[in-house]
Amino acid sequence: MRDKRKQGRNSGAIPEQDSDVKYFNPESQSRRDFLEGTGATVVAGAAATVLGIPAASAQQTGSIAARTAITLVVNGARHSVEVEDRWTLAELLRDRLDLTGTKIGCNRSECGACTVLMNDQPVYSCSQLAVWADGASIQTVEGLARNGQLSPVQEAFVENNGPQCGFCTPGQLMTATALLNSNPSPNSVEVREAMVGNLCRCSNYNAIVEAVVAAGEGENQGGVV
Amino acid sequence: MTEVTREGLEPLSTIGNSTNRIDAVERVTGEAKFTRDWKLPGMLYGRVLRSPYPHARIVSIDTREAARLPGVQAIITSEDAKVVWGAGSVNGGRQYNDPTKEATLHRRYIFNNPVRFVGDSVAAVAATDRHIAEEALSLIEVEYEELPFVLEPEEALEDGAPQIWPEGNLCPDFGGNIDPMISDVGDVDAGFNESDQIFEERYETGFIHNAQMEPRCSLASWEGEKLTLYTPSQGISNCRHDTARDLGLEDHQVRVISKYMGGGFGNKNQNQDADLVAATLSRRSGAPVMLEFSRREDWLGVHGRWPTVQYYKVGVKDDGTVTAMQMRAYSGMGPYRKNSGGISGMDAYACPNRYREINPVYTNRTTSGNFRAPSEPHGFYGVESMMDEVAYKLGMDPVEFTLKNMRRPTEDRPFTNYSLDEVIETGARQFNWQARRRVTPGSDEGPIKRGAGFSFMMFRSGLGTSSAIVRVNADEEYTLFVGVTDIGPGAKTTMGMIAAEALGVPLSQVEVVSGDTDRCPYSVGESGSRTTIMTGYAVVQAAENLKQQIISRGMPAGRDVLIGSATPTPSTDGKTRQCFGAHFVEVEVDSRVGSTRILKYTTVHESGRIINPTTARDQIRGATIQGIGQALHENLLYDDATGQPLTPGYYRARHLTHLDIPDIEVHFIEVDDGYGPFGAKTAGEAGIILAPAAVANAIANATGKRMTSLPITRDKILGAMA
Repeated sequence: MRDKRKQGRNSGAIPEQDSDVKYFNPESQSRRDFLEGTGATVVAGAAATVLGIPAASAQQTGSIAARTAITLVVNGARHSVEVEDRWTLAELLRDRLDLTGTKIGCNRSECGACTVLMNDQPVYSCSQLAVWADGASIQTVEGLARNGQLSPVQEAFVENNGPQCGFCTPGQLMTATALLNSNPSPNSVEVREAMVGNLCRCSNYNAIVEAVVAAGEGENQGGVV
Repeated sequence: MTEVTREGLEPLSTIGNSTNRIDAVERVTGEAKFTRDWKLPGMLYGRVLRSPYPHARIVSIDTREAARLPGVQAIITSEDAKVVWGAGSVNGGRQYNDPTKEATLHRRYIFNNPVRFVGDSVAAVAATDRHIAEEALSLIEVEYEELPFVLEPEEALEDGAPQIWPEGNLCPDFGGNIDPMISDVGDVDAGFNESDQIFEERYETGFIHNAQMEPRCSLASWEGEKLTLYTPSQGISNCRHDTARDLGLEDHQVRVISKYMGGGFGNKNQNQDADLVAATLSRRSGAPVMLEFSRREDWLGVHGRWPTVQYYKVGVKDDGTVTAMQMRAYSGMGPYRKNSGGISGMDAYACPNRYREINPVYTNRTTSGNFRAPSEPHGFYGVESMMDEVAYKLGMDPVEFTLKNMRRPTEDRPFTNYSLDEVIETGARQFNWQARRRVTPGSDEGPIKRGAGFSFMMFRSGLGTSSAIVRVNADEEYTLFVGVTDIGPGAKTTMGMIAAEALGVPLSQVEVVSGDTDRCPYSVGESGSRTTIMTGYAVVQAAENLKQQIISRGMPAGRDVLIGSATPTPSTDGKTRQCFGAHFVEVEVDSRVGSTRILKYTTVHESGRIINPTTARDQIRGATIQGIGQALHENLLYDDATGQPLTPGYYRARHLTHLDIPDIEVHFIEVDDGYGPFGAKTAGEAGIILAPAAVANAIANATGKRMTSLPITRDKILGAMA
C-alpha cells in the first residue's frame, strides 16, 4: 500500500486541477467558522496551506469530524483535497469531485457497483476511506473514454447490451478493464471468475460476459466458452 | 444461443432488428444521471430513523438534542407529520385508487405508531451533510413499549395470536370486507368423486426482496406551491398523481423526473414513502432535500415478494386426466397490505373443477408487495411441482401430462391466438427432453445425480390506455414524447423503434423525450409488462394521427411543426390475450454436499412480435436468472425469538453472481395476433414465472425427492437425501 502511494506521488507531470472551492486557512480561521461559512458541506481545497496537516490536529467536536489533507490523481488529474476522515473514497469521488458515474449500491462491499481502479487494481470505493487514497492514482468510469472515443470494453457493452438499468455498469466496466489490462483475451470462464464481485440484479450476466469476451483480443473474441 | 422463429410473418423495417440502445453511450460513460447524482443549490441530506422492534408502541419521541446538532435543519416524526402513504397501505389489488384510500380500514402513514415491523419508519432528519443527518438520528430518543409479535401467517390466524390491527390479522379486501379470496369454478367435490386417485401436498415459498441495485432515494424541491421530485420511478405519471393526492395537491403542482433509474422489478411503482418524506422535509426546511436509504433500509423498509404456504389437493383419473384441483393458501403480507397476496398457476389447467382459497395475512415481518410477476413464480412452483409429482406417480411424462391437461381456448373463452403446444414441443425438441430426463426420478447411481425438469405458463397480455405525442418539423426531425422511464428493459429504444416503424423513417430520425411529467403525456408505467404493448400502441396511434395530418396538409415548412397525439383504449374484442412460455432445465445435484448446478437451460417464449430481439432476449435471460435465485437461494429469514431479520442484503440472501450463471438459451416463436403494437405481447415478467418450477422439478427428477419448500438450499437437499 505504501509503495503504491509513493508511485502515485512520483508519477510525474500531472496537471493541477483548478477547483471552484473555498479555501480553509487554519492560521486565521476555526474549522467551525469555516464550515458555517460554507454551509458545512464543501471542504475541498487545492491550497498548499492545507497540505500536510496531521489528522490528529483536527478538532473533533459535535458534527465537526477530523480532517486530513490528501493528494490523489483521478483520471489523470491531480487533486489536493481536505477530506473528513470518515468519508469513503466513493463519497469523495461522487460528492466532492462530482464524478457521479461511480454508484453506491450497498455501501458495504457486497455488490461492486462502486468499483474503481486504485493504482490499477479494482477496489470497492465504498469500503476504502478517502484518506487511504492519499498518493494513489484512481481511475473511474469517467476516465475510460479518451478524447470522446469509447474504450474497447465500453464499445463492447454498447454493442452487446451490457447495461440493462445501468446502475451496476460502471463497476462492471472497471473490473473488466482491470481484467483486460492483465489478460487481453480472457475466455468466458476467466471473465466470470474475475467479475464475481460485481452483482447485477437485472441479472444481465450472460450479456456482460459476452461483452467482455468480445472486448478482448485474439482467438476468444466474439465467442463464449 | 438466441433464435427467433417468425414463419409467415412479414419482415418490418426497424422492428425485429437487433438494435443498440439509443442511450447506451450515456450508460457506459457515467453520464447517465440517476437520482442520487443530482445536486441542487443548498441541498440537504435526509435520513430515516427506523424501528428496532417487530411490534411496539411509541410512548415518546424526544428530538431536542438532535435538533441542537449544528447542521440539522428539520426533524419530522409521527407526531407532527401525519402524511398518509396511499400507495403503501391500502388493501387489495386496487390499492392505488383514490376511493380505496379513503375507505381503507388500515391506513399506513409515512411514520407509524405503533410500529409493526423491524424497519418501520419512526422519524426523519434533514441536515447539511449526510453524516450529520446520521448522527442526528442517533440523538433522537424514542421510548418504546414492546408488544407481542407474530411472524408466520398460519400462526397469525390462530386464536390468541397477537393482533396487529383491531379487526384481526386477516387482511380486508379493497372494499373493507374481511374474507379470504375465493375462486370456485365447477364442482370440486364432484371432481374428486370422479377421480381415481387423489394427491395432497403442502408447498412453501420464501420472501424475495426485489434487491434492485439502486437503493431507494428521492430529491424533493419546492418552488412556492410546486413540488419537483427527482425519484427512481417505474411510473412517473402514477407517482405524480399519488404524491399529489397524498400531499393534498393538484396533479399539476407536482413534477416527477426520472431520467435513469437503477431497477425496481415492481417496488418503484407509483409513489414511495421516500418521496413523501423528502417532500415533507423539504417543505419544513425550506431547502431541497435528498433523502437516501441505506441498503439495509431498502431491504427492510420497502418490500418484496410475499412468502406463501400452499396446500394442494388434486384428483386425477388413471389415464392422467385431472378432474379436480383445490388449493388453500396463506400469503404473508407484513403489517400493511401493499398488494393482493395472489397465488397464480391453477388457471393454466383446463380442469373444470377448481377451488382456490387464499388468505392474505398480516404479520410483523417487513411488508410484501410487487416483485416481477407478483402472483406467479411461487404459485407456478407450487402447482407445477404438484402436477409433476402426480405425472411421475402415474408413470407419465410430465410434458405429455401437461399437453393433456393444460388450458386451451374454448368456444366461450376464445384467445387472440394460442401457441402453447408449439412452444412446449419446440422446447422439448431443442432441449432433447427425452434424453435428459430420468424416467425413474433419482435413478442415477452414485452421489452425483442428474435430472431434468420442465414448466410451462401463460400470462396476461391484455391492452389498456396510454398516451403518446409525436412532433415533426420542417427538417423532418421527429420527436416522440412518452411518459416512460427506462428501468432496464430499454423502453426508450423500444418506443423509438415503434415510432420509426409506424412513421416509416429510420430510428436515427426519431428523438425520444421521456422521464419527466412536465414534458411528457400520461403513460401507464413500467409495471405489469405493459409499456411495450400499451404505450407502444399509443405511439402507433399518435404516429398514424401525424401521418394523416401530413397527408392532408403536407410536411411543415419554415418554423411550423405538426403534432400528432393519441390516447387509445384498445380492446381485444372480448378475447383472452396471453403470452406463452416453457422452460427446460438439466441440473446436477451433489448429494454429499447438497449443491445444485445447472447444466443446461432452454427457454421458449411466444411474446407476439419481438420489437428488439436483443433487449427482449435479455429480459428473458435476466428474469430466468432471478427465478433461479428464488429457486435455490433467496429468502429473508427471521429469528423467531426476537423478530429480527437475519438475512437482509446481497451477501446473506446469497444472490446469484457471475460464477453461478448458466448459459440461458432463448428461443422466441413470433406471431402477430393483430392486437397490440405490430402484434407485440408481454415479455418482461414471463421469464421469472417459469424458473422456480422448472428448477425444482429438475431437482426432483435428479434426486427422486420432492422439495416442497423454496429456496431449495443445501441443507434441505441434505435433509431429504439423508
